[in-house]
Amino acid sequence: MSSQASTIQQASKKQASSLLRKNIRKFVNNRLAMIGLVFVAVIIFTAVFAPLLTSYDPNEISLGEKSMGPCAEHILGTDNLGRDVFARVLYGGCISMLVSVLGALMGSLVGMVLGSLAGYFGGKVDMVLVRLSEIFQTFPEMILIMILVAILGQGVGNLVLVFSITGWMTTFRMVRNEFLVLREETYVQVCEAFGMSKAAIMFKQILPNVLSPVIVSTTVNVAGFILSEASLSFLGVGVPSSVPTWGNILNAAKSVEVVSNYWWLWAVPGGVISIFVLAINFFGDGLRDVLDPKQQ
Amino acid sequence: MLKFIGKKLLQMIPMLLLISFIVFGGLQLMDVDPISYMVTPDMAASAENQEALREQLGLNDPFVVRYFNWVKDLVTGDFGYSIVNGTSIASLLKTRLPATFELAIIALVLSSFIGIGIGIISAIRQNGIIDYVGRVFAVLGQSIPQFFFGICAIQIFAIKLGWLPVNGRTSPGASGLGDAVIHLVLPVLTMTVAMCAVLMRYSRNTMLGVLNCDYIKTARSKGIPEWKVYIKHGFRNAMRPVLVILCFRLPMLIGGSVVIESVFGWPGIGSIITQSVVSGDYPVIMVTTLMVAAAILVASFLVDVLTAALDPRVRLGE
Repeated sequence: MSSQASTIQQASKKQASSLLRKNIRKFVNNRLAMIGLVFVAVIIFTAVFAPLLTSYDPNEISLGEKSMGPCAEHILGTDNLGRDVFARVLYGGCISMLVSVLGALMGSLVGMVLGSLAGYFGGKVDMVLVRLSEIFQTFPEMILIMILVAILGQGVGNLVLVFSITGWMTTFRMVRNEFLVLREETYVQVCEAFGMSKAAIMFKQILPNVLSPVIVSTTVNVAGFILSEASLSFLGVGVPSSVPTWGNILNAAKSVEVVSNYWWLWAVPGGVISIFVLAINFFGDGLRDVLDPKQQ
Repeated sequence: MLKFIGKKLLQMIPMLLLISFIVFGGLQLMDVDPISYMVTPDMAASAENQEALREQLGLNDPFVVRYFNWVKDLVTGDFGYSIVNGTSIASLLKTRLPATFELAIIALVLSSFIGIGIGIISAIRQNGIIDYVGRVFAVLGQSIPQFFFGICAIQIFAIKLGWLPVNGRTSPGASGLGDAVIHLVLPVLTMTVAMCAVLMRYSRNTMLGVLNCDYIKTARSKGIPEWKVYIKHGFRNAMRPVLVILCFRLPMLIGGSVVIESVFGWPGIGSIITQSVVSGDYPVIMVTTLMVAAAILVASFLVDVLTAALDPRVRLGE
């Protein structure tokens, strides 16, 4: 009897590892997704190890070297206050990514909790939450974010908060829809019969089964928030201008003089943002093929 | 059908009240004292004067009373004044709304035709050249920040080539249609590209889904010409979800594209929203937000009515 059980266990373990191996192989064979992964990894690496790659301080003002073009000393030139653009792009990437990754994670967390509640309890709770998510979803994202920024004030922490308030709806919908199906499963009834608490059933038993699409949507949200942060800081309502982020570097491009004369001030950060977001989108698509084949 | 429309219309009123209440309450949390914008420094020295003014303006009233006063003013057409520069919000809207309308309507129409057109062609000729180019374009359109695309367009067409003006809605001193048109090209182009990307992807996917349905096979097996299958049987059924997406773009007519208006110095509502957020001008934020919210409710009302008109199952289900 026990030997039988252990063989079954072994077999399931083997199956799991071979499924993992199969998924990894599927992902590696997806060329676009791999290219995306490499680019994402490289950009994250350069941002995290910024101090090793440049000796300049991103906030060090040196008025003697104002608006210099790319040269041997400053690979990507300097801005109107003589700050090194290369250093600013590296350090700025770090904060931009931090804000968007944290925002996406928090948003998914809110979405998962609310989605579990709505899907598990159904009825009135479900109706109110779905209605709420619809209101949030139909509001033009940029305007919603700006109103929240107006209420909360500018700041790195506040921006993360704003992103988590505006980014929970997709996850919420997915989790809720899965829950509506899964709560009818036998294992849920068994758990209920055992007298397990509702919270334990929701978050320990059902939730792990819906994580795959959540991982995909979180990845895609990171890309969206990178764009939102850049737009907000470009408009001057995102992160305070003293903090270097990709959007704040681009803020200089609001003046026509900069656009026409100092291309390195906007083309470089703009290009980096575009490549990074593109790479995340490819990576996310590959991830979706592997984790969530239904949603193609 | 009339009963259905009436019911949906009535449902909009409590929603609008709820949203206005949330907006009003939320912005009360902002730490702005309108009095400090209104009085001259020598008057501000006397706390008594300030208190008297506060009482007179009803700023000391309880929250709910202030809310109802505000709603009453709105309903009677008094939108209030900006606390930063004192202009009346009604006149601000009157000058700015046409500019936003102009930009948004042209971009909406263009992007609908181009986006849906390319989306449908790429679904019919799946994996063809147009499909391939369209897909690359859609991915790029969703990855490049709108304002970066705008800046690149300015750099190429306005500065390097000098064909088009850099920003604004008209040149100082100039007038006439030609001047207005050349100012529209770049902002419309930028806005259209961004909106096309989403529409293209969406209409391609729904059309592909429809083309795989059994009734398309039936139509083909009956010997109906291929173009007729696409137009009459495919397109009509694929349009319903696309129409929904289109309707939800309508709030853009009010809100404008905040980012694009800022890049091109377009004097519309979007740039007002940006300015008022930067300067904490909360009466302006409240009114503009409420207008956007109203536009959203109208859009979702249109969606409901359109789906009911196109799909008898929705009507009968009610």
